[in-house]
Amino acid sequence: MKYFEDFRVGETDELGSYTMTEAEIVAFARKYDPQPFHVDPQAARGSIFGGLIASGWHTCAILMRLSVEAARREHSAATGSPGVDSCRWLKPVRPGDTLSGRTEVLDTQPSRTKPFGFVRRRVEMLNQRGDVVLSIVGISMYRRRPEPDR
Amino acid sequence: MTGLIHWEDIEVGQVERFGRYEVSAEEIVEYARQFDPQPFHLDEEAGRHSIFGGLIASGWHTAAMLMRMICDHALGNAATVGAVGFDGLKWLTPVRPGDVLSVETRAVDKAPSRSRPELGSVKVENRVFNQHGVAVMMLTSIALYRRRPAR
Repeated sequence: MKYFEDFRVGETDELGSYTMTEAEIVAFARKYDPQPFHVDPQAARGSIFGGLIASGWHTCAILMRLSVEAARREHSAATGSPGVDSCRWLKPVRPGDTLSGRTEVLDTQPSRTKPFGFVRRRVEMLNQRGDVVLSIVGISMYRRRPEPDR
Repeated sequence: MTGLIHWEDIEVGQVERFGRYEVSAEEIVEYARQFDPQPFHLDEEAGRHSIFGGLIASGWHTAAMLMRMICDHALGNAATVGAVGFDGLKWLTPVRPGDVLSVETRAVDKAPSRSRPELGSVKVENRVFNQHGVAVMMLTSIALYRRRPAR
């Protein structure tokens, strides 16, 4: 199990990858972000984006999915998040794009009152051309290593 | 087109309240299965054994529900062209099945785009409340609006 104490500032990791389909982009947007350039390929062609693009919240959701899978692989004691410092949607994500992720630990801070600690990370999502499409600085909580093992 | 709210029409300081989103256990689990399959988002029993004491919505799901309420309120009324991103997102209180969410927005800043003269940005503080009036999430988004054509 990877506990709060096991994270090091500067440590980097690769997330897996995920290919976005038009059907998924449209299904997500119909439910949560039905702007024309997310749900209607024809309308999207006439928009400033020149074609259908994924909702930024969909890209964030994919980032979360890849993060959960990574946490599972390293058996981390993740226990939610208090928030995100910043998020920038830097480039449109289009049908067929394959997104991958990379992370870097910026800061670690034990909770003063609870048996867990906060890990602040930069996470970047890149497309298959190597363009950064999403850059986030987010905070995750991890349980502390149980006393007898510390 | 001129009836749409353009960048020039936004006044810094203006506040709007809107939206009503009923959160169901089914939708919480459906979102979590696809995007955030942590035990406390998937299963009531597992949630009870977590620090949250029950099933709670993924924070990203709450953000998606905020976006839906914004779309229902503004789509067709505002000349928006997406967003640059957001800052200061805080998940303040867990969102649970049966919660009814609503939104309060406050325009806090605006600036013309430096690279695209036809666009301007507006910084908006968004707060999502539950049916008890408790803020569950806040974030400051940077939205892009079209500017009115020069006459």
